[in-house]
Amino acid sequence: MTTYIRNPLTIVWALLTLITVVSWLTARGGGAEHVVNATVTVVVLLIAAVKTQLVIWHFMEVRSAALWLRVATMSWLVALFALLLSVYFLALP
Amino acid sequence: MTDVAEGPLPSIGDTPRDTKARSDFPGESSMWFFVVGDLLIFGIYFIAYVYYRGQDHDLFLQSQARLNLDIGAINTVVLLTSSLFVALGTSAARAGKTADGVRLFVIALACGAAFPLLKLFEYIPEVIAGVTPGTNLFFMYYFVMTGLHLCHVMLGLVILCFIVGNLRGSAKPNISFVETGATYWHMVDILWLILFALLYLMR
Repeated sequence: MTTYIRNPLTIVWALLTLITVVSWLTARGGGAEHVVNATVTVVVLLIAAVKTQLVIWHFMEVRSAALWLRVATMSWLVALFALLLSVYFLALP
Repeated sequence: MTDVAEGPLPSIGDTPRDTKARSDFPGESSMWFFVVGDLLIFGIYFIAYVYYRGQDHDLFLQSQARLNLDIGAINTVVLLTSSLFVALGTSAARAGKTADGVRLFVIALACGAAFPLLKLFEYIPEVIAGVTPGTNLFFMYYFVMTGLHLCHVMLGLVILCFIVGNLRGSAKPNISFVETGATYWHMVDILWLILFALLYLMR
């Protein structure tokens, strides 16, 4: 069992869980829930991007996959979060 | 997991895969095309959601405040944990530790099955309170996106059952099938990570 606990994948999972808790607390600590808060949004979206990349890279084993797949997944991730943040900021009151 | 104690498992986690010789990615290429396609389609939903959110901040924020943030966060950890056990099970199966692979995939399945149950605890009070997809644009996006994701989860659970059957039923399991199913399950995890940030967390 210790083989699995000390596994690099388990360390990735611990990091993923930790930053999930950070984003959960960030949203909770964002004060009044009914107001726009760009800081909270940027933090939680960046954390989501990091988590997505960790899952793609380590759990889906894309880090040892063909170059085209590494480029395709990374391009999707960067384009998606860049667009999400851009659309969000363009519409801010 | 007694057979693990017999010695270190060198091929779990970060060793070159035996599949390297026959392909440049785990599992079937068709699954990877499906994954990239599905991510692109969901990506369009995500951007559309943020766009419409920007048109009416108050409506979206007030509706968002009615969601159960705690269940959303617990479900995120549940799916991440399930993904971990799928990744460990895939590595174990590849290393020939089939018995371990079965145990790890069964744990992954148990965690995965908790997701729809927790989702029910979220949906039922919402529907009882009169919240439906017709309530407003936020809840339309909420129910459609989480509903589509839930369909992906249910299909993923069936695939995980087939993986357990494959590992149990054969002396020489089909590793490519295990990797293909695992890839699908991790994609389901990724979609939820982003949905959680967009629907529950952003302000």
